[in-house]
Amino acid sequence: MGSDGREDEKILDVRTVVKHFGGVAALDEATLDVRRSSITALIGPNGAGKTTLFHVVTGFYRPERGEIRFEGERVDGKPPHAIAKRGLVRTFQVTKALSRMSVLENMMLAAPNQPGEHLWRLVLTPRAVRRREREVEEKAWALLELVQLDKLGRDYAGTLSGGQRKLLEFARALMSDPAMVMLDEPMAGVNPALGLQLLERMQQLRAERRLTFLLIEHDMEVVMTVSERVIVMNEGRVIADGTPDEVRGDPRVIDAYLGVHAGEERAAVAEATEGTR
Amino acid sequence: MTPALATIFTSVDFWTFVGVVAGIFTIFALGLQVQFGFTGLLNFGHVAFMAVAAYTMAILIVKVGWPMWASALAAIGMAMAFGVLIGLPTVRLRADFLAIATIAFGEIIRLIALNESDLTGGPQGTINLRGAGTAASFNAEWLSFQNTVRDWLEKGFGDVSRDQTMLVIIWTVVVLLILLLQFLVHSPWGRVLRSIREDEDASSALGKNVFAYKLQALALGAALGAVAGLFFAFQFSFFSPQDFDPLTTFFAWIIVILGGTGRNWAVPVGAIIFGVIFAGTRFADIPFFDTADQAFLRLILIGLILIGLMAFRPQGLLGKREEMVLG
Amino acid sequence: MSELFQLLANGLVTGSIISIGAIGLTLVYGILRIVNFAHGEYLTFGAFMAFLVNVTWGGHMVAAITFAIALTALLGVTLEFVLWRPMRNKGAGIISLFITSIGLALVVRHLIFMEWGGQPRRYDVNVFQVYDLGIFRLSLSQVVAIAVAFAAILLVGIMLARTRLGKSMRALSDNPELASVAGIDIDRVIVYTWILGAGLAGLGGVLQGLVQTSFNPNMGFTLLLPIFAAVILGGIGSAYGALAAGVLLGLVMELSTWDALAGGIRAVYKPAVAFALLILILLVRPQGVLGKARTV
Repeated sequence: MGSDGREDEKILDVRTVVKHFGGVAALDEATLDVRRSSITALIGPNGAGKTTLFHVVTGFYRPERGEIRFEGERVDGKPPHAIAKRGLVRTFQVTKALSRMSVLENMMLAAPNQPGEHLWRLVLTPRAVRRREREVEEKAWALLELVQLDKLGRDYAGTLSGGQRKLLEFARALMSDPAMVMLDEPMAGVNPALGLQLLERMQQLRAERRLTFLLIEHDMEVVMTVSERVIVMNEGRVIADGTPDEVRGDPRVIDAYLGVHAGEERAAVAEATEGTR
Repeated sequence: MTPALATIFTSVDFWTFVGVVAGIFTIFALGLQVQFGFTGLLNFGHVAFMAVAAYTMAILIVKVGWPMWASALAAIGMAMAFGVLIGLPTVRLRADFLAIATIAFGEIIRLIALNESDLTGGPQGTINLRGAGTAASFNAEWLSFQNTVRDWLEKGFGDVSRDQTMLVIIWTVVVLLILLLQFLVHSPWGRVLRSIREDEDASSALGKNVFAYKLQALALGAALGAVAGLFFAFQFSFFSPQDFDPLTTFFAWIIVILGGTGRNWAVPVGAIIFGVIFAGTRFADIPFFDTADQAFLRLILIGLILIGLMAFRPQGLLGKREEMVLG
Repeated sequence: MSELFQLLANGLVTGSIISIGAIGLTLVYGILRIVNFAHGEYLTFGAFMAFLVNVTWGGHMVAAITFAIALTALLGVTLEFVLWRPMRNKGAGIISLFITSIGLALVVRHLIFMEWGGQPRRYDVNVFQVYDLGIFRLSLSQVVAIAVAFAAILLVGIMLARTRLGKSMRALSDNPELASVAGIDIDRVIVYTWILGAGLAGLGGVLQGLVQTSFNPNMGFTLLLPIFAAVILGGIGSAYGALAAGVLLGLVMELSTWDALAGGIRAVYKPAVAFALLILILLVRPQGVLGKARTV
């Protein structure tokens, strides 16, 4: 793309991260980086550690070893809300729509810098609070229109279908104008036409606002068309890293997807069952 | 219905009394509403805030000689501090573990009230605050305030009893508090609390400091519990550690659940229903059971109500299924 | 110095009883994922069942203990079929089930109150028989309590480690999804868990009634909090953890009253000590000493 070299700047830098669950290494010295303003795909068979990586990077799990840097600063060990505030937001594989709140409220919650969220300012500076609420609401409606959920704005988020919830999470993640968005299977359950629009939107945001996207995806078409770089994980490690074409032909990658590894099964069980506690 | 019951249920004094008790319980339950209804915190030690406030106020008035309003404010502040204190180690626990931890806190407060006689008057209660031999009372300033209100009311309404004055005062406060809570629940701050109730991790992932908000919810709930405790103290002029056992918290839970945990205006309704059941059964004479057994029977009934609500109508009497917080 | 040993001996007694209660509670939790607030009342129930045999019917203490265990186990199983299973099938959540257990506790405790009243009760045993071991003395009741408690714990430990039922219980506790895939009959294991958990609770209640000078229907609730502390301290779901934590808590609770420790704490505050210790541990390690870390 451009030649000012900033495209090569690492916005996310993960080094030799280790995370065990009950004896099984879900992340085994995982090392990868994501370049600013890129759309990077993270793929790999089930149990490879992709979602665990997301949890560790965004502060939901603490890594046992390794370092994680976001925009040059260490974030490993920091709590999730602090990392989100720094501009690194994420969505969840099993969507976390706030069911008993309206779609609009889900969106408005996600906006940063809301004086009304602090008791003192709520009471002492009501005008500033109201002003920000109006701004936030406008932006929320705009983003909801983007994902075609605006008609459902006043409905409880719990009444949305699976695909609609994915869209809600996507839109919600954009509310805070983040620097980087990590999407966990953003297309699952979303109808193809809308999915295509989302991909276009991602590319547009990448170009206009220099947003960075890291997505976990199983849909190879999506991966191949939209991502400029693909990182492949297996058994808690990064086994390949390159352009879609490079990765597609890599024998190690093919092996990982076709081969039945005992380690992969163990990790899958560990990851699946730990996640349900 | 026996003739005795009929006269009771038509007596103004009875209903006034029910109204006062319901009012106190409403304020108490509103505190729980903030903690559980808004934020999803299972605080089962809520009565501790009532106790802390009541005792702090009484001790400050009787032993330290502070004026009533200052003591009351300090009492509320003390309860809020306790709320934060309880929260610090416990809010990261899973819901039911938080519940038991808060019960334990409540029990410890009661143990202290029972055993530190020099400070609290011990098992004899506040009458003992100045030691044996001198009956201590903390009520003087409140009574004169209440009389002022009463005189003012009588100008417009003729004869007004002491209890009726209390009724007016308490329910004025109830209405103001509910309006306040309505404002809060719909505010951005309330929105964060509700998101925590829905899904802490989602809230956290959206940049909200869940831990801090939970502590705020506990503190605000504690303040409301404190106000209830102060009204309780002033209404009955006297209290002892037995008044603050876990059952009181369980009663508040029933009220909150009965009303459907999402709705502020349902809390007073739940409290009145509860008040009628409770006060009514006090006066009713159930054949075949003696007085002690009737007290136990009432508690068995309460237990069955709790089980029944959970089994058949977890959304409460007034709640909507979609807004069901329990289940 | 002899006071120290006496306190340690007393602590061992208290601790073994707490352990028994805690193992029962943690097993039920591990498999059903519910905190049974009525667990304390199972202890009270056991104590009063034994009272029925020993005092009302004049039976021997051994018969009383057996009866207590059996009846409490029966209570546990009956409630499983009448209350817990139907509610689980309705999809009741953790909070609903917990509040249900609170209602249940109220019902059980006050039924006991209605039948036996609130006055202190005692078993018909020889309270004067004392074993003087020089550095400390133990009453017959205390010796029986320790012996029976440890025998029970040993049996439970062997059962969990060696028998197929025990292994099924541990598998189910560790990993419910995998266990059902492995062909374990979950409903059956649950019933056995209640038998074991409630039975142990009943036993704990009798033993507590034995070592206290007297007991009343509130005894279970009084013990519930230290038991709960032991469950969390030991790591929720871990039977061995509950055992270790129970004994530890018992020792700490008794030792806290030692003169040499700046006068010692007054005996009434012993439950507060257990609780304070729990809070301290939770501040440092929220999952308990042997527990599993919080996950998303």
